Amino acid sequence: MSSRKDQNAAARMVRDQIAKEQRRKRTMWISIAAVSALVIAGLIGWGIYAGAKTTEFTAPKGANTAGNGITNGSGPVVVDEYVDFLCPHCKTFHDEAAASIDQLAADGKITLITHPVAYLDGASTNRYSTRASAASGCAAEYGKFTAFADVLFANQPAEGGAGPTDDDLIALGRQAGLGDDFAQCVRDKRFVNWAGHVSEEAGRAGVTGTPTVLVNGKPTQASAATIAAAVAAAAGATPSASTS
Amino acid sequence: MDERTGWHRAQPWVSLLVRLGLAGVFLVAGGLKVTDLAANGRAVNAYQIMSYDAAMVVGAIQPFVEIAVGLLLLIGLATRLAAWLSAGMMVAFIAGISSAWARGLNIDCGCFSKGGQLPPGVTPNYLPEIFRDVAFLAMAIFLIIYPVSRFSLDARLDRPFSAEPAEDDVLEEDSDESTDHTAQRRGRA
Repeated sequence: MSSRKDQNAAARMVRDQIAKEQRRKRTMWISIAAVSALVIAGLIGWGIYAGAKTTEFTAPKGANTAGNGITNGSGPVVVDEYVDFLCPHCKTFHDEAAASIDQLAADGKITLITHPVAYLDGASTNRYSTRASAASGCAAEYGKFTAFADVLFANQPAEGGAGPTDDDLIALGRQAGLGDDFAQCVRDKRFVNWAGHVSEEAGRAGVTGTPTVLVNGKPTQASAATIAAAVAAAAGATPSASTS
Repeated sequence: MDERTGWHRAQPWVSLLVRLGLAGVFLVAGGLKVTDLAANGRAVNAYQIMSYDAAMVVGAIQPFVEIAVGLLLLIGLATRLAAWLSAGMMVAFIAGISSAWARGLNIDCGCFSKGGQLPPGVTPNYLPEIFRDVAFLAMAIFLIIYPVSRFSLDARLDRPFSAEPAEDDVLEEDSDESTDHTAQRRGRA
C-alpha cells in the first residue's frame, strides 16, 4: 500500500514536525530567559528603591510640627516654599524674592515654611542637594537657617559637577555666623535622613519641581509680587504699600 | 522559502536597523533615568495616575526594565517578545501623555529626562511627544511583524536558518529516536 515515495514523504513530514517542535521549544526557552532578565531588572530597581527609603529621622529645631520644613514668623497666612539649593531657578527666585518674603514673615503677615528638598542629587556628582539640605537642618538647629540659606544661594555651584564638600559647607556656615557645633552636626550627617524625609513629603504633596510656592496651599508663581498679592488676597486685605 | 525579491533580501537588514534604533531609544531613555530613581518616581507621580507610593515603585523599576528591553533588542534575543513589550510600553506612554494633556496637566513628560512640573509660563509640548512615541510604536510593530534580522542572537540560535552547518545536521538523516535525544539535549542547555 505504501510506496517508497509515500514513505519518503511521510518521513519528511515527521522531520518537519520534529523541527517545528524543536523550534517551539527553543522559542519557549528563549522567552523564559528574556522574561527572567526583565523580572531581575525590575527587582533590582525595586530593591534599590526599598533600600533607599528613609526610615528614622529627627527634625531640627525650628521645624514645623510635621517636621518637613523650617518655619519663619507666625503670621496667619501660610506660605510654603520648596527649594533645592542646587536648582538655578531657586537661586533666581531667592535673589529676587527672599528679602520681601522674609519681611512679610517679620511683619507678622505670614508663617513661612521653607522645605529644603533634595530633588537634584542626580545633578551633582557628590549628592550636593542632600548634603546642603542636611546642613541647612544643622543651621536651623543652631538658629541660623535663613542666614545659611542666603550664603548657600550666594555660593551656588553649577549643576553637573561636584558641589561643595562637607568641609566647604562648614566654611560657608562660618560666613553665616555658625560655629563648631554646626560643623560637628554636618560631619555627623545628623540631618541627612531628615533631608530625605523633607523630599519624600514634598513628593507626596505633589511637588514635582522646584521652586514651588504655595500660599495657604494654593500654587503661586514664585516671584515677590505674585506672592505678596496672593498673601494679601488670602489675608482679605489690599496689598500694602511696603510690598508694591 | 527565499523568494529572491528585493524585499526578502532587504527585510533582515531593515529589521536590524529598526531593532538597533529601538534598542538605542530604550537604552538612552533608561540610562538617563537610572541615575536618579526618586526623580523618575516623581516624574511618574506628576502624571497623577497612581498613588504616590505606587508611582515611586514604578519609577524605580521602569528604567531598569527599559534598559533590559534595550539590551534584548541590541543583542537580538527574543526579538519578537521584546518588540511586543516595546509596543506595550509605547502604548502606555502615549496613553499617559494623552491623559495628562486631556486633564490639562502642565508637566514635562519625563520621556528622556527627569520630568516633573513645568515652570509657570512654559507650555507643554505634548503633540510632538505623542508623535515621537507613535513613531517608536510603529518601529516596534514592524519588529513584531518582521522579527528576523541580521546579526541577531535569535538567528544564531535558530540553527535551521543559520548559514554555517551545525552539528545537529544529523537531524536530516537520523532516526526519530536520536532526534528526540538532540531536542532534549538542547532543551536542557
